Amino acid sequence: MDPSPGTAGTTQGGFDPGQAAALLDQATQRARRTFTPLTPLLFAFRAVAALVVFGGIWLSVRGQHPYTGHISGWAVAVAVVLVGTNIGWTARAIGHAGTGVSGPAQRKWQAWTGIMVAAWVIGYLITAPLYLDASSHPVWGLYPASAPLLVIGLATAVAAAAFRYRALAGTALGIALTAAVAGFGGPAGSWLIVGIGLCAVYLGIAAFTARAQHRSVVLP
Amino acid sequence: MTIELDPLIHVPTRLRIVATLAALPDGDALSFTRLQNILALTPGNLIIQLRKLEEADYICSTKTGNGSTQKTTVAMTSKGRAALGAYTQALRDLLSGLDIDPAFPATTTPSASALPLLAHSCGLERCT
Repeated sequence: MDPSPGTAGTTQGGFDPGQAAALLDQATQRARRTFTPLTPLLFAFRAVAALVVFGGIWLSVRGQHPYTGHISGWAVAVAVVLVGTNIGWTARAIGHAGTGVSGPAQRKWQAWTGIMVAAWVIGYLITAPLYLDASSHPVWGLYPASAPLLVIGLATAVAAAAFRYRALAGTALGIALTAAVAGFGGPAGSWLIVGIGLCAVYLGIAAFTARAQHRSVVLP
Repeated sequence: MTIELDPLIHVPTRLRIVATLAALPDGDALSFTRLQNILALTPGNLIIQLRKLEEADYICSTKTGNGSTQKTTVAMTSKGRAALGAYTQALRDLLSGLDIDPAFPATTTPSASALPLLAHSCGLERCT
């Protein structure tokens, strides 16, 4: 068999069931990788980025007695670079996966993307002033790591469930759960717990996505 | 028992086409250009294979615009998805009967001399 490009009609050379099954799996898996915007590699990057960003912030605030919540410039710089990289990578991946694709599912995905962007932007835009005005809002001031993520995680979990994106709903619930647990870690410790928790959640969804992409369509 | 493999799908190029289109959610379509890029086929070759699949109502194509702005999109029909499902099940039955591992077809499939016999016993003579 020659499954290489432009080999229409190679059945004359013998295309047995084993070869057909291998080609079917190969083509399906490649198509899944092509049309999946949020790849396992992107999720793995997010896992590392979350650990580095929140871990860096924890390093910069852990020695504060009393806790002031002041984050070092280098930790902010690292966060800006990694969050910016994540946004750029995600936008590029979504654009590439959706090129040439049209239809109801594609429109649904675009709507979901808009909701996600709005949730993250609004979530942090609302909580940032509350954090800066910590004296009158102690919860937001003391727990900037967990409070916004709890709200965003729960909101996006509800939205993902409504869109029937089960894996993303699970991810969002994982984020919300991480934020809830981090609330018990104290002002400084919550940063580290969020970093480790998000890392675990994103590694989990990376493994789930990779497994889904490589699942055989022929073998049960 | 004779297991039939759909001769329309049981061709490497067409199998790759239907597998690619079936990976899209039901109802979504793919532009001709993107499909061509994914499969690395020549336009002529792809048109020929798509025409055969469209004649069988396995796929449907839609043209929008005109002249240089004309764009063709291709989508799998429900009949096509059902046909691919039946084809996959037939493959599964064949492989379980023959104990062939699709991950290593080159090393575990019968020898070339045994292929005509295999094709005959499986009802594959129609698509060879």
